[in-house]
Amino acid sequence: MNLKLFINFGTYFVTSLHKKIIFVEKFKTYMMKTYKFLLLILIGGLLLGWSCNSSTDSNQIDNDSLNNVKNEHTKRVKKIFYNVPSPIEMASIIQKSGAQYKPEILNSYKNTDKYVNVPKQALILGVYGSDLSYVRLFDQIQLSINYLSSIKKLCDELNISEDQGSIAISRMEKNIDKRDSLLQIMSETYSSADAYLKENDRGNTATLIILGGWVEALYICTNIVEFDIPQNKDIINRIGEQKYSLNNLIELINSYPDDNELHKFIPLLAELRGKYDLVGIEYVKREVVTEKEKKLTTIHSKANVSINKTSFEDIKTTISSIRNKIVNN
Amino acid sequence: MKRIFKKTAIIALISVFPYLTNAQCKGFTKKECLPQLKPYVYNGQLNSAVLNEGDVAELLLTFYSGQDYRIFVCSQEMLGNVEFKLLDTDKNTLFYNKDHDYVKFWDFKSNSTQQLIVQVRIPQSEVKSEIVQSGCVSILAGFKE
Repeated sequence: MNLKLFINFGTYFVTSLHKKIIFVEKFKTYMMKTYKFLLLILIGGLLLGWSCNSSTDSNQIDNDSLNNVKNEHTKRVKKIFYNVPSPIEMASIIQKSGAQYKPEILNSYKNTDKYVNVPKQALILGVYGSDLSYVRLFDQIQLSINYLSSIKKLCDELNISEDQGSIAISRMEKNIDKRDSLLQIMSETYSSADAYLKENDRGNTATLIILGGWVEALYICTNIVEFDIPQNKDIINRIGEQKYSLNNLIELINSYPDDNELHKFIPLLAELRGKYDLVGIEYVKREVVTEKEKKLTTIHSKANVSINKTSFEDIKTTISSIRNKIVNN
Repeated sequence: MKRIFKKTAIIALISVFPYLTNAQCKGFTKKECLPQLKPYVYNGQLNSAVLNEGDVAELLLTFYSGQDYRIFVCSQEMLGNVEFKLLDTDKNTLFYNKDHDYVKFWDFKSNSTQQLIVQVRIPQSEVKSEIVQSGCVSILAGFKE
């Protein structure tokens, strides 16, 4: 009896052990399959993510390729960048055209506290960049310091780290009396802020700064001149030539299709482009001369800008309205 | 178990690689490229990307009359001789660095304001390999006051 019981128990033990082994084996196989499946999903996800990233980068290119299927060149372009003149470059352009000093049209450096959200602060950082570039042209030292302090405050509010964005500003007291040093400080501040924001996937914020700067610069240009005064012809032509940069700015904003703050400005800029459509730029190509020793290429060409008083006033009104949307809460 | 751990580590590395490369690229521009643009004033807009061999990138910008410009194409050494051209909007070549020993920067002056395109091309590797060479490329624009 005991022997039978022992044999039954033994059989039961061996069977259950066998079942356990089978179960463990099945479990291992199942786990391996699951692991492989998960691995495949992960790799698939990574590849998809990668391709999504690439497609974001080359959003413009994809659109172009669709429009120009036959254009082999466009298909090969992986990345397109759009540059808009910086506040410093804009100031340099208007300086050469003979600008007048009208500080009352600027956005006061005292307004910093009025701007509390990130998109607004980024736009105003650009606005102050143009205001500072403008007052610098007329050697307004104290006003330059005030604008730089407001810029530093906005950099801090935007979490643009001390060593990246605003450390250059701390040198201002030492260098403010030197015009070139001020230019260097401004250039370093804005380029470091741009690099820092792009490094940290905040290219949209960097674009808001560029937008604010360009709008303020064009607003200043249109508000310091009278159309009928012949001496203003150069600066009025410069205003007309902003037609090209406006297109680049719109394309730059379009490269951030998911940013609502940036896209709020598209209808306004499209309206401005409508006014610019009436500005004619007739372009005559001439020879291109390259001097190897000087590492210099000169593009000889001629452009005639035709802009009438109505177009000028329309541009002035439209840019003022965009600018007011930026500076007013 | 060891193998699973190994595989997981490899997957983790693969997944963070693109982000590491991108961050490296931006650091590269600031340290290696910007100082070389002097004495021109940098326009403050960072145009950098990780490109593979055979890739083309373009920068659209406006040259204003009477301004002096410097275009500097800065790239990591492993990419070899990076080509760059200055094109007008009709895609006519105004300058090609291949004609000047693949020089990395060149100065430009335009008598009239115009829209121009800087086109950059990464050469295809002459050695056939399964690994595609990739690296950072920055297109920098500077102007003189």
